[in-house]
Amino acid sequence: MKTPVKIALAVVLLIAIAGIGGALYLYNLKPQDLNKVKPHFVMTSADLQKAFETDESASSAKYINKIIEVTGEIASVKQGEKNFINISLRTSNDLSSVNCTFPSSDTTFFKTGSLITVRGICSGFLMDVLLKNCAIVEGTK
Amino acid sequence: MKRLTLILILFTVFLAASAQKYITKNGYIGFFSHTPMEDIKGDNNQVASILDISTGDIVFQVLIKSFHFDRALLEEHFNENYMESDKIPKSSFKGKITNLSFVDFKKNGIYEVTVEGDLTIHNVTNKISIKGTIEVVTGGINANSKFNIVPEDYKINIPDLVRGKIAQNLEVTVSMKYSSM
Repeated sequence: MKTPVKIALAVVLLIAIAGIGGALYLYNLKPQDLNKVKPHFVMTSADLQKAFETDESASSAKYINKIIEVTGEIASVKQGEKNFINISLRTSNDLSSVNCTFPSSDTTFFKTGSLITVRGICSGFLMDVLLKNCAIVEGTK
Repeated sequence: MKRLTLILILFTVFLAASAQKYITKNGYIGFFSHTPMEDIKGDNNQVASILDISTGDIVFQVLIKSFHFDRALLEEHFNENYMESDKIPKSSFKGKITNLSFVDFKKNGIYEVTVEGDLTIHNVTNKISIKGTIEVVTGGINANSKFNIVPEDYKINIPDLVRGKIAQNLEVTVSMKYSSM
């Protein structure tokens, strides 16, 4: 085999390996650890809820799919199904909170009544503003 | 004084009416797809639901973007390619327990129920009838169900290339823990 052909084959092989490697990497990529990224918005739970209550469509356009760092008082802590924890953060509306889901089953750091700062990805507004894939930033931890 | 009496009466009526309604904002709905090639599951712990035990009316609302996946790429495909969650953010169910008289809400226990109603996914509404259980517990009510749905019934288009990776029938699990409203 001539040297140029060998080189060409090696290049093709390398590209193939890189391609498969890249595809496998993307395929197995876990959800983002939000403690390692910068938030798009930093605000209080009251302000976030107020924004959605006042103008849901504008707030949806602004906040959905964005990483939001939110500070608020824990109103309730609930163990969800399949190793998730749900906490709700108090707002100025007693019937509507900021509802955060953590992919974890460790409730040690969540105490009703204490202040906490979490980062989560906003998925929109039902009765509460919903944040998912949350991580604790500071507070009771 | 008359006014106070009226307010008291209204308040009592309101309390009596609200005692019939149960709510959760952290209900669970998950789906599971099994094929020899791949298992896929999505979990959502932020389902809002209200159950009226005087009429048997039951409603669910869920944000599609609230589903959590083990792998980021699955979540992206689910939202962008299949559910189009930017355009269609919500799914809902509105129905009724058809054998409500079988359930004694004053007595703790598990009761088999049938629920009929409209399931709306991806802007397509289908009438469904499913079996489930109502569990009356101290201080609340739990509701559980497992049923199957076919993605194509809701005009969710799955390309031929990946059709083998997604089950023909997706298993849906519903688990609610209601408290009094």
